[in-house]
Amino acid sequence: MKYNIPIGPQHPALKEPISIRLTVEGEVIQDADLRLGYNHRGVEKLAEEKSWIQNIYLTERICGICSHSHATCFVQGAEKLLEIVPPRRGVYLRYLVSELERIHSHLLWLGVAGHEAGFDTFFMYTWRDREVVMDLLEMISGNRVHYAINTLGGVRRDIDEAMKKKILEGLAVLKTRSEYYFKIGAMEPTFIGRLAGVGRLTKQQAMDYCAVGPMARASGVDRDVRKNDPHDFYNEVEFDVATADTCDVLGRTVVRIKELFESYKICEQILRKLPDGPIAVKAPRKAKPNEVVSRYEAPRGENIHYIISNGSEKPERLKVRAPTLANYPATVEILKHGFIADIPLIFAAIDPCICCAERAVDLIDARSGEQRTLRFSELRRMANERARLSPVQRNVEWPF
Amino acid sequence: MNDEQKIEKLKTFVSPEAVAYPAPHRIFVSVEPAGLTALVARMKAALDCWYVITISGVDKGETYEILYHFGDTTGSITVRTQIPKADPRIPSICGVIPGAILYERELQDMFGMTVENLPDPRPMLMSDDWPAGNFPLRKDWKFDRPAEVIPGGKK
Repeated sequence: MKYNIPIGPQHPALKEPISIRLTVEGEVIQDADLRLGYNHRGVEKLAEEKSWIQNIYLTERICGICSHSHATCFVQGAEKLLEIVPPRRGVYLRYLVSELERIHSHLLWLGVAGHEAGFDTFFMYTWRDREVVMDLLEMISGNRVHYAINTLGGVRRDIDEAMKKKILEGLAVLKTRSEYYFKIGAMEPTFIGRLAGVGRLTKQQAMDYCAVGPMARASGVDRDVRKNDPHDFYNEVEFDVATADTCDVLGRTVVRIKELFESYKICEQILRKLPDGPIAVKAPRKAKPNEVVSRYEAPRGENIHYIISNGSEKPERLKVRAPTLANYPATVEILKHGFIADIPLIFAAIDPCICCAERAVDLIDARSGEQRTLRFSELRRMANERARLSPVQRNVEWPF
Repeated sequence: MNDEQKIEKLKTFVSPEAVAYPAPHRIFVSVEPAGLTALVARMKAALDCWYVITISGVDKGETYEILYHFGDTTGSITVRTQIPKADPRIPSICGVIPGAILYERELQDMFGMTVENLPDPRPMLMSDDWPAGNFPLRKDWKFDRPAEVIPGGKK
């Protein structure tokens, strides 16, 4: 007996509404189909109508969580086209915000993962601590989400010694707290048991389907734009590319936790080495005809902006690819042969925005066509129920 | 493998004039549409280009330019090809790199190109009631907002 389960597409609280149609037999997913485009806003077309400086604010609004990623990716490319070099201090501050954003995004994700796995204490702890980094971002930029700190030729706001001290204090707090959570993982075998083995993506699959970010790195593919194709800045700081080889949700958790520590490390180095001088240079209004490929490692994977200029004050073409899109083909593969009960966790593992909000799922009986609407909380309850009934995988060890 | 070694290798696949090196870590290769899949397969085998970052389409007036951005451990290689607007057909690279499917479907939706041998050619981004023959990223396409009709409203 086969059932079709449509998930999505619409929920007003979601950033990226998508529709996934699953064919299930019993509890096992046999096939998954993806429908996109429910939130297509025509940003690429709109960008052709806007000037270079306006486009910074447009690209910043592509994503609500990694807003700085798109703006930085665009500015990196636009600066090459406008033939300006931002001053060192501006560059350092720009990537300081980048790394703080990575910390906030990963903490958010860890909370969601804990929540979906039925470990709500973890969720509350990490989200409480996320406020620390959010406050730092607000102090630096004036905003919690859309920092608007980038400008052509540098950044818009400087930091002083007092702020520097506060950031270091905040990082110290986050570091101690993060270390404490990793110990919690070791003491909570059910948490690891829930994550291990769920959502398997082999290394070969990750390569075939061009997965990016923590998804790929958790499958042993050590690709990180910050190392492979870095902006000059990343050559001046020391960090490691975090990978895991368990190929499952546990691996994706491990990669993000490791990346948190790498980001703390990078932030401390930035503040220690922060050069003096101006934070921005004046940018010309027009760019000569040229083209540029700009890459950037966002919290969820690689961003790419391909920009063509045509001699005017507007770009001829701006092509944007966000990391979540690149992870969809791999997600479809992951869902196949998984369990219905694992859907929330698998979704959480690719992108926190898909299921951080409550959403309805319709279960349609394939023969009778009868529909039953389930709240997402209900689905999560079923998921936790299954986890409770299944034997705990005691052989899996918390890697910290 | 550094940029120079990659360029050397690429020059054995295509004619030397077809390889451009405008900036560090950025290599551009031009190819005819007919030779695209063969080049991609050779690049995947010899240059470790299994990762297609994205595919960009550009409206160049008389032609469409399609750029396949590949990422490797030391930078990116972009393969560019041009197809005439009158007959916009391009072979699919999904046979070599399955992960390219969403980007190729996007080309079909946004430019009205026909990507041949695509495993799943359904529309991806546009809504089901999107009028046929409207391709938003063509330069001559302008958006006209249809007049709002309120059911039961005043004429």
